[in-house]
Amino acid sequence: MQSANIAAGAVVCVESEIRGDVTIGPRTVVHPKARIIAEAGPIIIGEGNLIEEQALIINSYPENIMPDTEGVEPKTMTIGINNVFEVGCVSQALKIGDNNVIESKADLGKNVILTSGCIVGACCQVNTCEVIPENTVIYGSNCMRRVQTERPQPQTLQLDFLMKILPNYHHMKKTVKGTSTPVRN
Amino acid sequence: MASLLQPDRVLYLVHGEKKIRSPLSTLYFCRYCSELRSLECVSHEVDSHYCPSCLENMPSAEAKLKKNRKRICNQLNENFRCANCFDCPCCMHTLSTRATNIPAPLPDDPSKTTMKKAYYLACGFCRWTSRDVGMADKSVASGGWQEPDNPHTQRINKLIEYYQQLAQREKLERDRKKLARRRPYMPLAFSQHTIHVVEKYGLGTRLQRQRPGAPITSLAGLSLKEGEDQKEINIEPAQALDEVEPLPEDCYTRPINLPEVTSLRQRLLQPDFQPAGASQLHPKHKHLLIKRSLRCRKCEHNLSKPEFNPTSIKFKIQLVAVSYIPEVRIMSIPNLRFQKECQVLLTLTNPVENITHVTLVGCEEGDPEDINSTAKVMVPTKELVLAGKDAAADYDELAEPQDFQDDPDVVAFRKSNKIGFFIKVVPQREEDGDVTVSFKIRHDFRNLAAPIRPSEEGDAPTEAIWLTHHVELSLGPIIA
Repeated sequence: MQSANIAAGAVVCVESEIRGDVTIGPRTVVHPKARIIAEAGPIIIGEGNLIEEQALIINSYPENIMPDTEGVEPKTMTIGINNVFEVGCVSQALKIGDNNVIESKADLGKNVILTSGCIVGACCQVNTCEVIPENTVIYGSNCMRRVQTERPQPQTLQLDFLMKILPNYHHMKKTVKGTSTPVRN
Repeated sequence: MASLLQPDRVLYLVHGEKKIRSPLSTLYFCRYCSELRSLECVSHEVDSHYCPSCLENMPSAEAKLKKNRKRICNQLNENFRCANCFDCPCCMHTLSTRATNIPAPLPDDPSKTTMKKAYYLACGFCRWTSRDVGMADKSVASGGWQEPDNPHTQRINKLIEYYQQLAQREKLERDRKKLARRRPYMPLAFSQHTIHVVEKYGLGTRLQRQRPGAPITSLAGLSLKEGEDQKEINIEPAQALDEVEPLPEDCYTRPINLPEVTSLRQRLLQPDFQPAGASQLHPKHKHLLIKRSLRCRKCEHNLSKPEFNPTSIKFKIQLVAVSYIPEVRIMSIPNLRFQKECQVLLTLTNPVENITHVTLVGCEEGDPEDINSTAKVMVPTKELVLAGKDAAADYDELAEPQDFQDDPDVVAFRKSNKIGFFIKVVPQREEDGDVTVSFKIRHDFRNLAAPIRPSEEGDAPTEAIWLTHHVELSLGPIIA
């Protein structure tokens, strides 16, 4: 049975839904009602990430392939460090670098690859098949783009605050140290 | 269904210079003329300017122009832009000031460093910062940001002065002719209205109003600049050049750096510079918005006058139609069938505090106002009585329900100042568009604005007059 590998130092609330083979790095905060679903392959999340409520990170099957087809290789979804997945966003991108911000209700398709320092604006749907260059900002109802000169700052203050406050109000999922332990629901 | 309550389903006809059909919520009611008015048959006047982000009131154009005349070009800029707030040159959102801590050497001891606050402008929407265009961080939170100077300022200033003087001279000559045939019956009260009309070449201080067809009335006081500065201003004509700067050699071969190219909108929002590169886009001060008041063109009374304070959304004078005219709304529509009689439920709401009597009359054949209806309508023939609007009705449980004998075929329900009634609709055209019906609504209106006659006459202080409005309803498509 696949289980979640939650590193020590990560704060993952019990109300979040984590299905499949998911690895979560240290100093990552997963809010309640966030969903990380590894259907078609494992998901590896780095450290210092902030995954807010109702965010959905899903490694799903491509549309035209049935789940039970033979010969389909599971693809790993990698998420780097210091990313922020704001409230209600949906990410299916297979490769996300560092220091990205995916704002509220943004929608990333399967074929997008985010490098570093990118900001996908609120309610922007990006489902093209491309690699978004570094430090790109996608904003507006027409998904206009521009390049910013500095990457977004890592949310260290927010992460520290949440790691202190969230355990006061929520139960946390058990972290593992390399050995697989069943997840307590 | 919420879509039945959409405002454009029920349109009232306004008799003005143009026949306009619009929902009651967008109309005004002049209680001196006792007529509906729409936005197109009133005159709009600017009351005040304010900044939409800091909500600061700006002194009117008059006060600004009274200052130093030499800096006219800058004043015309400052007239309508906020001094504190900036717009993002990239996405036109409002910029916010952010602070960072930077180490800076102490003035006394250069070897030690202390944290000082440095401020920069940043846009929350597109993440543009003032550092992108190379603007240095300022040490003060506000007031440190300058817009770059237009290199052509001097020439423009001179041209403006010259043309203003020219316009003034033309105006004087025109006024001299007009003074002779000034109409005697124009009341002097008009000279007190602060109605600003943007003049030719921007003089702006003349208190005038142009009505269609009427000549420009001149006023007793002439403009501020009269009598001052009669010196002649000469300008050199612009010189045409034969040679133009040649295009760079790699114009066709150089690959375009797309993020660096400005969009047309970004470029044209800065008409002084029109930069082609995004690294020259400097923030501009925010444009001001206006508060406007509306005035009936026939009787010159104010229909809508907002409060002066930009933070207040109330009105000093608010003669909107929904507070005087009973409003018809659609409550439910059955399936409409071609050539079959359907019963539609409408509601009628009484906005005033006294009892209103409403009669509905169908439109006759050949009615010139009835151009849109695609169905025959049978309205109730009896007079409908609407109770007055009682503000305390919700709280007063012991109030006796008023007894109106309602015909159950006509009146479906009655609730405080609202009744529901049925009309019968027979769609006449089998086509794709909406079924539209129209009828006239006739109600009594007590004019509280009229002067109260002395009570010795024994008459009721307010006489009721009967108003008729033409109403059109859009009932939706025919369902086969």
